[in-house]
Amino acid sequence: MNAEEIQAIFFAECEESLAAAEAGLAACKAGTQDSDTVNAVFRGVHSIKGGAGAFGYVALQAYTHTFETLLSDVRDGTVAIGEALIDLLLRALDTLSDHVAAARGLGETPDDAALQAELTAAMAANAGAAPPAPPAAPAASPAAVISDDDEAPELSDFDFAAMLDDITGAIGQNDAAAEPATDATWSVRVRPHADAMRNGSEPLLMMREIIDLGGTCVACDVGQIPPLDAIDPGTGYLGWHFALPADVGEAAVREIFDFVGDECSLAFGDDAAMPPVRLPAPRVAAPAPAQPAAAASASPAAVASDHDDAPRAAAAAPPAPPAMGQSIRIELGKLDKLIDAVGELVIAQAMMAQRLAGDGQAVTEELTMLEGLTRDIQESAMAIRAQPIGSVFSRVPRILRELTASTGKHVRLEVSGESTELDKTVIERLGEPLTHLIRNAVDHGIEPAEARIAAGKPAEGTLTLSAEHKSGRILIRIADDGRGIDRDRVLAKAIEKGLVAPDATLSKEEIDLLIFAPGFSTAQQITNVSGRGVGMDVVRQNVKDLGGRITIESEPGSGTTFTLTLPLTLAISDGMVVNVGDQTLVVPLANVVESLRPDPREVKGLGASRAMINVRGRFIPVLPLYAAVGAIGAVERPEHGVLIVVETEGAGRAALLVDAICDQRQVVIKSLDTHYRSVEGVAGATILGDGRVALIIDVDGLVAQSLAANSLADSGLFEAA
Amino acid sequence: MPTISLPPRCDRAAAEALLPEMIAALGTGTLAIDARGCTQIGQVMLQILVAARRTGEGAVINASPVLRETARRLGLEAELFDDTPVMGKGGARA
Repeated sequence: MNAEEIQAIFFAECEESLAAAEAGLAACKAGTQDSDTVNAVFRGVHSIKGGAGAFGYVALQAYTHTFETLLSDVRDGTVAIGEALIDLLLRALDTLSDHVAAARGLGETPDDAALQAELTAAMAANAGAAPPAPPAAPAASPAAVISDDDEAPELSDFDFAAMLDDITGAIGQNDAAAEPATDATWSVRVRPHADAMRNGSEPLLMMREIIDLGGTCVACDVGQIPPLDAIDPGTGYLGWHFALPADVGEAAVREIFDFVGDECSLAFGDDAAMPPVRLPAPRVAAPAPAQPAAAASASPAAVASDHDDAPRAAAAAPPAPPAMGQSIRIELGKLDKLIDAVGELVIAQAMMAQRLAGDGQAVTEELTMLEGLTRDIQESAMAIRAQPIGSVFSRVPRILRELTASTGKHVRLEVSGESTELDKTVIERLGEPLTHLIRNAVDHGIEPAEARIAAGKPAEGTLTLSAEHKSGRILIRIADDGRGIDRDRVLAKAIEKGLVAPDATLSKEEIDLLIFAPGFSTAQQITNVSGRGVGMDVVRQNVKDLGGRITIESEPGSGTTFTLTLPLTLAISDGMVVNVGDQTLVVPLANVVESLRPDPREVKGLGASRAMINVRGRFIPVLPLYAAVGAIGAVERPEHGVLIVVETEGAGRAALLVDAICDQRQVVIKSLDTHYRSVEGVAGATILGDGRVALIIDVDGLVAQSLAANSLADSGLFEAA
Repeated sequence: MPTISLPPRCDRAAAEALLPEMIAALGTGTLAIDARGCTQIGQVMLQILVAARRTGEGAVINASPVLRETARRLGLEAELFDDTPVMGKGGARA
């Protein structure tokens, strides 16, 4: 994924956030002014701010900060919501849209000075004492806009555009700093290698950062560049020698190259030699500049043609469009139509199978074939939508760099499983929660360097991102090696905010979960990074919307791990169709471990109304599904029904009591949220072969919920069992 | 004199797409590279431009101010342009 695509995702998210904020304000205007609605507006603006910061849109970030501060006051009730305020907020939202459009290159950066003043005036701490953002930043053009002369603002690619803008834009001050370079300077020599130029990475951006540090280019080593017909676009031939002011440390330079590892060779010191070019394996030693194309004998594919027999006609060809690779860009809408149609095909196929079975013509050879084909088509269609999660991970280094700049904390990134594939929709919607989690980990989790050293840890924090497939789901872990969750403080804060009764006794896990409560934040200071307590509830909501779950493991002093469990696709899954009284339900196969008809002797009563079953020496709680879904006429005793043993994230195993298992098949998931509303314990609905609607059980949610209810009812007994 | 026009965004993909064209144009005289529309450039294209200047009869690059400035800051101005002004003379805005 290149920089442009990453940025496109950000703008797509902006659209969503703007729409959400707009809807929230419209609801406010219509009279719904509850905290959820205000929160929704706030979250929208906050998300845009986060992205704007990460992508370096200064004006947009400054503006959203002011906007958000006012919204925060409204949410906290320190500013009363009224007709005039809502109108102001709506105007502010319009200007926000303009800002986003400007960042996108679709218009001028709006002049927001007056509006910012108005917003500031409306804040709780009104009259005077304006918060930090407004005056300074907006004057500067947004970073992505190439401010240079008559150049058409092409500017869709933030990376390169930002680079050029910065390089040219910063010229004045740097020249001033560098030309009278009589001050002591020291040298660094940098040579980017092949991988530093892959996957949308751009070494020049790092050179820009050196220049931003006050570095001046002493020389550029071009001696290693071979003749044009022997050049390998994938090799880094250029090397730079920069002089840096004495007050810039070596660490600051090293840090710029943190994320590329050894893909950029560095040599420090005035006498150091320029690191050598890393040529592709079969190449002979570096060809001298004037040397003829001798080395071309083993040169890479791109330069296979020799100029003598090169077709002359090619010279007259128009500038080639970047015809790369064997791929095709498809409008997402078309793809979604295909996926929808495949979903319907799966249903139709199931209906036909059922009808034929009803007519006594079961299992014909053709039907089996059709079933196989349907499955193939479905898998292929899904594969089209599958994308490696690396596209989301690749946004992380930039976010971290930005965080380092704003928090001063240095964080090393470790990534694994980037090639894990999952559905595009999931990928797209993962960006926002992931960004929040990372910002949170750096801001709240990882301690400042001094505190880390005092705690016997390396000064530099480590953030580990990993992704893997596990039983039909994808697990994404975001782990930091920071201070862990300070549960005492979380609990105190929750009590202070009225989220928890003062006398409540909560388990560690329950305290950890409090950080997902809307409006919860323990940060002492509200920063650009985090602290407003919106991030985490957005995260949970986003993950929930994706049909996923988020769990926390935290060890005081050694770090926190957030685990996101997400479905691979949102459209189709395998399920076990079961009967419970008068209802037909679907249990996602991903959760099912086994099913059994219990021996009455293996079922033990527990407390007043609960039961455990001994499955090969291990006691598992029995959860009657009829109770959860309110089915009538269901089997109530485990020994009379069938138990489906399920594995859950977070709540371990449980045995779901059902009347009977009818079938196991693919189900097309229809969202309840879009057609009705979100229902606790239900992941969605599907249409069965006979046209009836069946609910799909959210096993994780249901089990966690039932067990939590039980454990609160007779806590202590559980362990005794 | 064959002329090769550079797109506004000279990233790696653009560089890889244009390289065969430039190679094909070798031996037909000095290469003229029209980079007046170039607003963004990456290392891959930058080193191809250097190679083009150093190969065969060389190349004349008609640069946009942005390219010119980037080259200047990265120590490549003299390498890429014939008319490099003396350092410090009125900035580098061509």
